[in-house]
Amino acid sequence: MTSPMFPVFDIAGSALTTHRIWMNAIADNIANVNTVKSMDQPAYQERFIIAQELPSRSGDPVGVGGGVAPVAVELGDAEGRVVYDPQNPLADKNGLVRRPNMDLGDQMTNLILAQRAYQLNLAVVDRARESYQQALNINGR
Amino acid sequence: MLDLTMQAIQASLDGLAARQRITAQNLANSETPGYLAQTVSFEDSLSNAIGDGHVSGTEIATGTTGDPVNINGNNVSVDNETLSMVDTGLRYQLATESMNNKFRILHDSMRQDL
Amino acid sequence: MTISPIGNILGAAGLSPLQGTQSATAPTGTEATSGNTFTQALENVQASQDNADTLAKAAATGNLTDIHAYTIAATEASLTTELTVAVRDRAVESFNEIMRMQV
Repeated sequence: MTSPMFPVFDIAGSALTTHRIWMNAIADNIANVNTVKSMDQPAYQERFIIAQELPSRSGDPVGVGGGVAPVAVELGDAEGRVVYDPQNPLADKNGLVRRPNMDLGDQMTNLILAQRAYQLNLAVVDRARESYQQALNINGR
Repeated sequence: MLDLTMQAIQASLDGLAARQRITAQNLANSETPGYLAQTVSFEDSLSNAIGDGHVSGTEIATGTTGDPVNINGNNVSVDNETLSMVDTGLRYQLATESMNNKFRILHDSMRQDL
Repeated sequence: MTISPIGNILGAAGLSPLQGTQSATAPTGTEATSGNTFTQALENVQASQDNADTLAKAAATGNLTDIHAYTIAATEASLTTELTVAVRDRAVESFNEIMRMQV
């Protein structure tokens, strides 16, 4: 908890961290879109970040939540797409290899969603900071 | 000349300035392998000291965030450090405002427009 | 020719001797009012300054959730101080003017 006096920064901050972790997972997926595995291993499995809302902080009079946090990483399909590729050094005696079962379009969509959410939470921090600065200027001078 | 309130404000300014420096150091080392992010705490110490009627016992202590490390052994969370900068900046502004207000009241009490 | 001594000049001019002068302060009606205003302003100043101090200490220790509470309290303390100073200045000014009216 970095900001006991300004809870909004902690709430927005939790979202910034969570979406940054999501972007890391998406980057991992995109980086491994062509990772080939042999048949005796699981394919590269798509990473999913499971996020959960945080309960409100103790002492909060209104009981608004504490933001969001990543609670688990789930792995996707281990079977992958079985592809016939006999020239591949990893191919088994049938010439089959495993490729990841992921949709690149999904990954790009998620990347845009994660980026948008990150930017929106930055805007929250910015606007809140401006509001508090105006409160500090209540002076009449 | 400085009453307890002004001493408390001054102590908080010292603590906030220290926190600002540590945050800058953490951000500068956000990619350094093996670097652990540090924190500054002074609020509880200051609160206890004020309760005793003085601020001379206030301690500005450094610690670590305890966040998990990444592959390089680095655990700096850039998001948290950036937010810490915003938070510290606002609180520093508030503290300097308070100090100005106290001095202004002293000025007003002393001036003579007779 | 004989010159008679000067007798009751005042009586000749139709004047009577001066009575004791009235008190130099303002009449009792307005005196009570200005005194009350001054006392009230003084009491207000102490309370509003203490309130601002409490909030400033809370802000210094990171315990203040509504920072506008502090800035409003500080502005109020500043204004009541200025009011008290202005009232004091006027009161002293009036006193000086009256002291200048020595006969």
